[in-house]
Amino acid sequence: MTSPTLAERLADLAVGIGANVQPGQIVTVSADIGLEEIVRELAARAYREGAKFVDVTYFDPGVKRARIEHAAEDTLDFVPSWYAGRVFELGRSHSARVVVAAPSNPRALQGLDPARLGRDQLPAIAEWMDVLSERTVNWTIIPFPTLPWARLVHPELDDAAALEKLTQEIVHVCRLDEPDPDAAWRARVSELSAVGSRLNGLALDSLHYEGPGTDLTVGLLPSSSWVGALSSTIDGLEHLPNIPTEEVFSTPDPQRAEGRVRSTKPLVLVDGSIVRGLEVRFEGGRAVEIDAEEGAEIMRARTARDEGASRLGEVALVDRESRIGQLGTVFYETLLDENATSHIALGSAYEEAVDESDLPRINRSGTHIDFMVGGDDVDVTGITRDGQRIPVLRGGAWQI
Amino acid sequence: MNDADLAQIAELAVAVGANVQPGQIVGVTAELGHEDIARAIAAAAYDRGAKFVDVWYVDPLVKRARIEFAPDDTLDYVPPWYGRRFIELGEQRGANIAIRGLTVPNALEGLDPKRAGRDQLPRVKETNVIVNERTVNWTIVAYPTLPWARVVHPELDDDAALAKLREEVRHVSRLDEPDPLEAWEARIVQLERAAEALNEARLDALHFEGEGTDLTIGLLPSSIWRMARWSTIDGLRHLPNVPTEEVFTSPDPDRVDGHVRSTKPLVLTDGTMVRGLNVRFEGGRAVDITADEGGEILAGRTRIDEGACRLGEVALVDRESRIGQLGTVFYETLLDENAASHIALGSGFAFAVETDEDRARVNQSAVHIDFMIGSNDVDVTGLTSDGERVPLLRDGVWQLSAVHAA
Repeated sequence: MTSPTLAERLADLAVGIGANVQPGQIVTVSADIGLEEIVRELAARAYREGAKFVDVTYFDPGVKRARIEHAAEDTLDFVPSWYAGRVFELGRSHSARVVVAAPSNPRALQGLDPARLGRDQLPAIAEWMDVLSERTVNWTIIPFPTLPWARLVHPELDDAAALEKLTQEIVHVCRLDEPDPDAAWRARVSELSAVGSRLNGLALDSLHYEGPGTDLTVGLLPSSSWVGALSSTIDGLEHLPNIPTEEVFSTPDPQRAEGRVRSTKPLVLVDGSIVRGLEVRFEGGRAVEIDAEEGAEIMRARTARDEGASRLGEVALVDRESRIGQLGTVFYETLLDENATSHIALGSAYEEAVDESDLPRINRSGTHIDFMVGGDDVDVTGITRDGQRIPVLRGGAWQI
Repeated sequence: MNDADLAQIAELAVAVGANVQPGQIVGVTAELGHEDIARAIAAAAYDRGAKFVDVWYVDPLVKRARIEFAPDDTLDYVPPWYGRRFIELGEQRGANIAIRGLTVPNALEGLDPKRAGRDQLPRVKETNVIVNERTVNWTIVAYPTLPWARVVHPELDDDAALAKLREEVRHVSRLDEPDPLEAWEARIVQLERAAEALNEARLDALHFEGEGTDLTIGLLPSSIWRMARWSTIDGLRHLPNVPTEEVFTSPDPDRVDGHVRSTKPLVLTDGTMVRGLNVRFEGGRAVDITADEGGEILAGRTRIDEGACRLGEVALVDRESRIGQLGTVFYETLLDENAASHIALGSGFAFAVETDEDRARVNQSAVHIDFMIGSNDVDVTGLTSDGERVPLLRDGVWQLSAVHAA
């Protein structure tokens, strides 16, 4: 008897506790070229679960490279009408969605003109933000190890060792090394829900981040609540949007962010470009200054794409119990890195973290860019409406 | 394949085949395993000013997972956006390029053929709409892959097989000419002249004579000969197949009599080989089908529906065809059907007749099975309605003087 492959085990997790695929659903699967092994397992697993159709879209960074290099400048932000039509149709039919987050070739876009690159958002499709906000789709994002990714994360190792190490790390952070991974996830999710409840009990008005290069205050909305990693659709289907997940998050007031913040880890944009040493200064909620050691220009281009792209849509807290944070590995992949430590995101906000009364106020954008601002030496303090300061994270540990 | 060779095939697809125009959206249908040529086609299309290149990668093994595991009553379901993509491409006057070249041999091996038959993807029925409405300039091109090379040249090792297939595809695509575009233009002009001359001859029937073959195929009153350069309703000319060597029309499905012997093996869509095929026709119907190999399976196919045992196409190919000259069997209809004159059992082409009355008579079927009946030893003669015999092909050479005019 052979033991199940990693692809089979991750597909079980994604179709099961992750997206919670139901019989009769259409399941859309997005992945880069190079991820065929996990995509085929996801298809097989979803069909065995009774899926009506598995709609696979492979994204090829090599085709994107051809576009950035060869296409006319004024066409670079064009997206054909059927891309949005497909996404809306997936929402209308209450489909399930699985995204495999693993750069097939993180360097595929190296050396391209950042200004041109910044105009092409694909594979991100802005309409997904709308559809996910409507909560008609049960979805998850999972990682899958590949050799090009392993080389990026562990450049000091030879190919076989690098892939082996990345694979072990993904097994660990996805809790597949637990006797019962489903049960392990249920336990972690209820821990995170409990943290969210305690934060909600504090009725905070804002958060204050202090650390090297960071002195930032982020205002919250009157009805902002803290959400653990379990989401549910309007049909009541519970799903885990991220595997792994280690965060509690909320939706901030897009008009109230003041001060400066230094990112504590590199971030990788959706097209694979890397931003290191990012520093952002906020005034009245807007990112008015963006600097970085690498990737500043493409980051500026991304935040200029629409009005909401320069304002905050998410604030998330992660404690030092995070398996990703404990590893200390930089994965150059937001799914993992954002669960390493506390982070904020420019761009679209999650409707589920506010009441209807605040819905008109939350940030709207066609983009959502997470970046890490937490660490053991970054203190996070809650400020109540009457000005009381309540320590939230000290040395990476919950204080509440 | 090196970048220069990829760029050459891409240029053939974009410039000669689809004739991509500045500002157009270009759909590309590719399989996993075609990444290199898909990227080269994207670059070439953008160089010509394409607005967007939309590559659709098909994974034969995701299809396999579906046939293997999906609930039975879902197998013919296709989400609406698969069709919308083509309809909108037509409404927006886009171009489309499909890539052929085997990537996964026997991807559906061992699965229930009935279940497999119900999933038509990656074929999407809306493509028929844009083809008939002529809103899209489109082409199909060949890309040599290792799995394909192994099938065509099983006697060679991998490197040699792939090198040989690449050389052959390069040759039949006329990429070994100093100016491939000019070479195709010259060949297309010949084929256009052949089609025009055939139309002017106002033939009532064709007579094929050779060893094992004595077959008369009636034409419809308004059957017109087409060649493989088409134009869209906007007047954009394109080559639906690259390479292309044929002129073709749809015959009268009720007037085929005599017997015919195939001159090359044919491969059915499920990979079945049919060799040494002999078919006898009476009143348009194939009444007797025998073969050295695969005869039973072919006969089974012709019983799928009423039209499956009648002819939908007759195509003439002269000895100038580079595919015919090579003598290689490619197990890929795009190439093999351009090797020699052929006929097809099953569905015909509505656009190959001119009157509504004849359109209603063109053969209809769910299948279309091409098989080669021509060679240098098979004479093709046209018969006019007053009984005159007009030589068309002798020793594989066009006999219509207009074809060879300067």
